[in-house]
Amino acid sequence: MKIRKSIFAPSPIELALLGVAILSMTPSAHALPSYARQTGEDCSSCHVGSFGPQLTPHGIHFKIEGYTDNDGNAGKVPLSGMVVGTFTHTHKGQGQSLEPHFGSNDNTALQEASVFLAGGLTEHLGAFIQATYSDIDRRASFDQMDVRYAHSLQFAGADTILGISVNNLPTVQDPFNTLPAWGFPFVSSDLARTPSSPSSRLSDGFGHQALGMTVYGLWDNRFYAELGGYRTLPTRIQTDLSVGGPGTDRIHGLAPYGRLAYFKDLHKQAYSVGLVGFGAHVEPGGVGGVTDKYQDLGLDASYQFLGDRRHMVSLYGSFIHETQTLDASDSTDPKGHLNQLDLTASYYYDRTYGVSLKEFDINSSRAGSDSRGTILQADWSPFGKEGSWGAPWANLRLGLQYTMYNKFDGTSDNAGDNDTLMAFFWTAF
Amino acid sequence: MSISPIYRPILPLATFLLAIGFHSPVFAGDHGASVFEEECSDCHSVTQGKNKKGPSLFGVVGRNPATIEGYNYSDAMRANHTTWTADRLDAYITAPKKIVPGGKMKYDGLSNAADRTDLIAYLSGLH
Repeated sequence: MKIRKSIFAPSPIELALLGVAILSMTPSAHALPSYARQTGEDCSSCHVGSFGPQLTPHGIHFKIEGYTDNDGNAGKVPLSGMVVGTFTHTHKGQGQSLEPHFGSNDNTALQEASVFLAGGLTEHLGAFIQATYSDIDRRASFDQMDVRYAHSLQFAGADTILGISVNNLPTVQDPFNTLPAWGFPFVSSDLARTPSSPSSRLSDGFGHQALGMTVYGLWDNRFYAELGGYRTLPTRIQTDLSVGGPGTDRIHGLAPYGRLAYFKDLHKQAYSVGLVGFGAHVEPGGVGGVTDKYQDLGLDASYQFLGDRRHMVSLYGSFIHETQTLDASDSTDPKGHLNQLDLTASYYYDRTYGVSLKEFDINSSRAGSDSRGTILQADWSPFGKEGSWGAPWANLRLGLQYTMYNKFDGTSDNAGDNDTLMAFFWTAF
Repeated sequence: MSISPIYRPILPLATFLLAIGFHSPVFAGDHGASVFEEECSDCHSVTQGKNKKGPSLFGVVGRNPATIEGYNYSDAMRANHTTWTADRLDAYITAPKKIVPGGKMKYDGLSNAADRTDLIAYLSGLH
């Protein structure tokens, strides 16, 4: 069934999102806890390397339970802040700068300064809502959002969690760090040239211009299922939230999203395997009429060795196959496909010193769209553990990241010119 | 077989990690401390007075349930009046929801008896 809707008549879901957005930007008289203050736990309980967003099994449960778990003490404040600064060097200067106010190479930037409404709002309702100022874009915008209601019950003799997520990016609600929104790298330079050809629609996620609702369940702490759909925000709301506006791609009707996963937390180790599906009919540039059709189907898996937390190894893999029928963008040759493979390994010592390696490969039937490369990162997160200085307010990650391209925009010739070295500091409080 | 230059550091790195791994508590003989880190430390501290989502386990062996000042216990735990002896802790850690039905601890239990013994021995030393 096709849903017809005027952009000036937002649905109740969209009104609810706007309300939440306004709420998150309004000074609150309520207490303002971060997740760590809310639970009384250390960042390292939920995050590999004592710093977000790479989740441990404990963090996965916290997210599925709706960000509401707590230590039973009232008076916590669901507000956090984050600042990311970067220095970016590309192998070859970019001729002309990618962004106004910056040079063609060796740029230092305040890449993100964010505020979060993050924590339990009621016994069953929790939020992760981010608004970000970028000194590169020189503007503030509405960033990621995942508001969820979760309820625990017994079903068929096993612990069961049922929930609803309202979010603005397909896979931002996913708890396993295997899918695009929360896959490595968790920070990358906004001042480096990246492949101009698109990755899968599931990765692009329509920026933060979408609004989705999914229902999900975790049965017996093992079987995870989720089903929902996404629509594009009305143009005027996109403009108000600085996430888009006239001329941006629009989802025609409803874009369905589905997820199945098996997850096993063995305390010393954990693993997951899953499937994800997403389909969208897209009006390029927001122009109605003929649409481009995308069907994404993905397979993902993860393994974590946690042991006594002194040596932690995480492995993640995902493969997304996208079928494209671009009747609007390429009417002469509309049929095509894209395969996207991501493989990541990370190791953390003493929940503090980390190295990560990622191989990525985007292979498309369309000329000039392939890209392939490697990302290496080393980082240091001195805080976020029991007894850390300034806990739970002081959190810091310093890192070096190097991205190497074997293929860039379909060619290996001079692909290495885009290799990027990024140094970063990342603090959250 | 040629190896990409990017992977060449992996072998020495793996050797280094294996070497430092033998300095972990597991190999240092403090297995109970390791079991605590593996099974309990996300929610509990062994520091006196440090409550997380769960209460501090400092001095838990021999303590009466629900007696830490300032910790918000469940009604079920408040109704539990059996002292945390080693045997009682062993039974609780094996199947928490069976020993304290309605308790709020979200833990499915530790089935390995040797691990439980070492864990309780470790906790017994914290006084």
